[in-house]
Amino acid sequence: MIKAEHVYKTFYTPDHRKVEALVDFSIEIHKGEVVVVIGPSGSGKSTFLRCINRLEAIDKGKLIIDGVDITDRRVNMNKVREEVGMVFQHFNLFPHKTVLDNVTLAQIVVRKRDKAEAVEVARALLEKVGILEKENNYPSQLSGGQQQRVAIARALAMHPKIMLFDEATSALDPEMIGEVLDVMKNLAREGMTMVVVTHEMGFAREVSDRVVFMEDGRIIEEGTAEHFFTSPTSDRTKLFLSQIL
Amino acid sequence: MRFTLRSLITLVILAALLAAAYYFFITRGISYIWHWESIPEMLFYYGPKSAEDPSVHLRMGILMIGFVMTLKISVVATFFAIIIGTVVGIARLSTEPITRWISSAYVELIRNTPLLVQIYIIYFFAGSMLRVSAFAAGTAALAIFAGAYVGEIVRAGIQSIDRGQMEAARSLGMSYAQAMRHIILPQAFKRIIPPLAGQFISLIKDSSLVSVIALADLMFQGQQAVARTYYAFEIYFTVAALYLVLTFTFSMATQFIERRLRISD
Ligand SMILES: Nc1ncnc2c1ncn2[C@@H]1O[C@H](COP(=O)(O)OP(=O)(O)OP(=O)(O)O)[C@@H](O)[C@H]1O
Ligand SMILES: [Mg+2]
Repeated sequence: MIKAEHVYKTFYTPDHRKVEALVDFSIEIHKGEVVVVIGPSGSGKSTFLRCINRLEAIDKGKLIIDGVDITDRRVNMNKVREEVGMVFQHFNLFPHKTVLDNVTLAQIVVRKRDKAEAVEVARALLEKVGILEKENNYPSQLSGGQQQRVAIARALAMHPKIMLFDEATSALDPEMIGEVLDVMKNLAREGMTMVVVTHEMGFAREVSDRVVFMEDGRIIEEGTAEHFFTSPTSDRTKLFLSQIL
Repeated sequence: MRFTLRSLITLVILAALLAAAYYFFITRGISYIWHWESIPEMLFYYGPKSAEDPSVHLRMGILMIGFVMTLKISVVATFFAIIIGTVVGIARLSTEPITRWISSAYVELIRNTPLLVQIYIIYFFAGSMLRVSAFAAGTAALAIFAGAYVGEIVRAGIQSIDRGQMEAARSLGMSYAQAMRHIILPQAFKRIIPPLAGQFISLIKDSSLVSVIALADLMFQGQQAVARTYYAFEIYFTVAALYLVLTFTFSMATQFIERRLRISD
């Protein structure tokens, strides 16, 4: 489903410093797999996700999403992005649109569904994430947890094949983290292919197939969540885990 | 609400100042004979238009005709300034260096030369080469002038929208244009209503400059009326008051719209 081969991504800061966000990065993620990505700040986790739907273009290497080589210039990225949903740390809901419109807009303008069908899809998803009663509210009238659930529904409304979560619960108050994780867990159990950047090791243990530990743009260690709890091999992994657990 | 009240107070103070100035004129015995009684018929009168059209109707007087023309010029120029400004604002942020370069050249050129000169250039160029009317030339000049400023306001508005909005829209498969149209511009415009309103109030006032190309706007008609009657004080006071009516109404209207749009934040 996702195949990265020797991917490099370098940023240049405004003061011309070179930041290597991804270095010779390779990974293969299969259909239905749930991969949790952990690692210290600045290790390249977000960059990896953002390269998958080409919010960032990679410098070198190969990135194949659902059989499509997205480094090929001829590929219509909008088409690829329709198949890849993304959930952001800060929700990024559209503040000038109601909850319902947030979820129907892309269906109508991108998927070309008619309004009635889009509303039907949206209602079903809002129900699924448990927030149907707020459909006519604006995002600013919702709590963080509610906003993030709407954002998940918005991404799901495109019927994506892959879902990316970039620290979807880090901006939430502790009492709201559970409700969002529950939605994500359900999604994982339904067989969605997911790449999840999170430090919620409980989530990793419950539903992930694999955990990847990154540092300085590289994969340092990977294995099951159990492996990371019981027998991490790298000292850097141990140090990191001791900080977050 | 606060601003509304403040502008009302400003208006009252302004009126008081004018009244004081007027009183000062009379009491100090400056020998000026006032002819306020001839002003109403410059706004509306009841009678025949001319020898050719002797039918008796309620008709617009010389100043009211100019008022309507100024309103027309302002509305049309504002409309095109918004279109020009939106295109320029987006072009200024383009990833294409040529688009960026052309749009910033336009903005710099327009902002750093006098409007009066621009009006003459467009009038004599477009008027003689393309045979367009004074109305078209004057309105175009104003739209092109205001468009440069609106472009800068729109650019700032777009830049003020959180980057995550564009990313969220793109991640849902929207094209850059779709994201702009549905997500970025609606939010940006809502945010830039106050500076835009200021810009369009300037446009209404600047429209008085088109009188130089014999376009029968409020200013031009005022000058004509003065030439005919020599009642300079009364007429220019009235002209000023009529501009004030336009700008004040406009500023009230935008505040109303702004308040209505604020609901979703
Ligand atoms: N647009 C950019 N311009 C310059 N540098 C960037 C840019 N985006 C990311 N970087 C740099 O690339 C590196 C990797 O960033 P990335 O956001 O992928 O890290 P992360 O693992 O997601 O960290 P965090 O846990 O803080 O979110 C960092 O050093 C970051 O400063
Ligand atoms: Mg990150």
